[in-house]
Amino acid sequence: MTTPRLFGIETEYGIAREGMPEIDPVVESMELVRSYLTGPFEQSWDYTGEDPHVDQRGFRVSSLQQDREEDQFAELDSHRPFTFHEMKSDLVLTNGARFYNDHTHPEYSTPECRSLVDLVAHDRAGERIVFRAAQKRNQDLESCHVKLYKNNTDFHGHSYGCHDNYLVSRGIPFEHLSNGLMPFLVTRQIFSGAGKVGIEAQERDSAGGVFQISQRADFMETQCSVDTMHDRPILNTRDEPHADRKKYRRLHLILGDANMCEYATALKVGTTRVVLEMIERGICPSIDLDDPVAAIKTVSQNPTLTVDLPCKSRKAITAVDIQRRYVEAATKALFGTDAETDWILNEWSDVLDQLTRDRSILVGRVDWITKQWLLETFMEAENLEWTDPWLASLDLEYHNVDPEAGLFLSLETAGNSRRVCDDAQIEEAIRSGPSDTRGGIRGLCVSRFPDRIQSVQWERIFFKGGIINPKTLEMGDLFDPDQVWAVREALEQASNPASVCE
Amino acid sequence: MKNRNEPHHFAQWERRERPIDPGPRPPAPKEDTGGPRRPDSGSPEKDELLKRMRKVDPKQAERYRQRTGE
Repeated sequence: MTTPRLFGIETEYGIAREGMPEIDPVVESMELVRSYLTGPFEQSWDYTGEDPHVDQRGFRVSSLQQDREEDQFAELDSHRPFTFHEMKSDLVLTNGARFYNDHTHPEYSTPECRSLVDLVAHDRAGERIVFRAAQKRNQDLESCHVKLYKNNTDFHGHSYGCHDNYLVSRGIPFEHLSNGLMPFLVTRQIFSGAGKVGIEAQERDSAGGVFQISQRADFMETQCSVDTMHDRPILNTRDEPHADRKKYRRLHLILGDANMCEYATALKVGTTRVVLEMIERGICPSIDLDDPVAAIKTVSQNPTLTVDLPCKSRKAITAVDIQRRYVEAATKALFGTDAETDWILNEWSDVLDQLTRDRSILVGRVDWITKQWLLETFMEAENLEWTDPWLASLDLEYHNVDPEAGLFLSLETAGNSRRVCDDAQIEEAIRSGPSDTRGGIRGLCVSRFPDRIQSVQWERIFFKGGIINPKTLEMGDLFDPDQVWAVREALEQASNPASVCE
Repeated sequence: MKNRNEPHHFAQWERRERPIDPGPRPPAPKEDTGGPRRPDSGSPEKDELLKRMRKVDPKQAERYRQRTGE
């Protein structure tokens, strides 16, 4: 039996105020999130049971690299007139998403999705929700309006993430996951990279003058680790399944770039989902990169895609050829499984062909190619060199989520991007969650029973029922769409959600 | 009587037949119907794009500072 398909994306947004170089990021992110509220803030997210120190390799670390810095910030924040929960300002939305202040960035976590169309719609819904929150916040601000960026760097050595998450069977040994995923993850940036002007490192300013494929590759410092803010790993080993721990893992990938192109989001998550199915079937190509951490930077810094990556037991191979090995093996085994899988396999193969033929056709589909084309067009018009600092500013503006200002959104509005979902689907995703996942059930509960919810975790909802007798809607193994539908129907008919929990 | 530590499991439920298929897997993304167009040189679209790019403050990235996230 294969693992149920389920995935989601968490995006930390960059936040700034026009004309204000110094802002308090805690207050700004908190106020931004709360701007989306229509009533007073009520704490509903329950952090009980979350432990980012537990490692999928079977141990728990005593501390994370970020703990000391976090403690310092906590000390600073302890003097503020609000509690930890008030600062986090966790909102659970009617679409099942979570919107909150995470590490001083407004973060939007999509509800769990089973299909790429739903996932892309919910990722785009997140963009619009944070932008609408900014619009409301700006109505209250006389000047120095808030600007939000769906990107991953400040060009000064501070990165923030866009994490893609997948439900995985606990029965797959972690070593199989690591071996099967590593060469794929190192090289998937060739179609999922968002592009970046300059090269930087943790806490170190960007050296300009170059254009690279990925925003995050500079910040990958080790192959596998439980850390997420320092010594970032290609494969994060945090073991928080947010599901029945005995049956499932959550693959929490932190290496990816935030994509503006819907097509890139769909291909990034779709190909990763396919590779997980390949690992489950034991059909991944065997490629042992000599140094994956060096390789991920090498690939990113060579947009010609012609560089060979050294391997331990075979001759060196290019990033494109590594991806070709994966798509060929996947096509043999999985083509015909269903329409979505066929779409992924066809597009995966096609994009690899186009990367080595005529890349211009990928403008509007692949972010780094789109950004490179925009910048080169501007450089030609203004007679600029790659060393000009204006280019980093344009890079940032590519990710602005304001349709009136953002460079990518300008292209999209003019019809020059490949869409995976339409505006009606995005607006629906703002209102409600996927009908076939627990994310939709979470959203339904928020929508129908807001006053009866005591607290929420990813895998369960606690309903008020008195101190002695709260009711729990357990969703740690609620992945079968038939069961999801049965619960959904029961909740739609119930006057009291507690009755559904009995 | 259940308490907070005894969550309900849906696997215990009796499954009912559903009248219609409420949750078919949403269709795969649509087939490519030509894809996006890169704005041609000298086109109004490209001029508009360049106009928007010229409005971008050349120093905004230099001033842009964030705290490290995840």
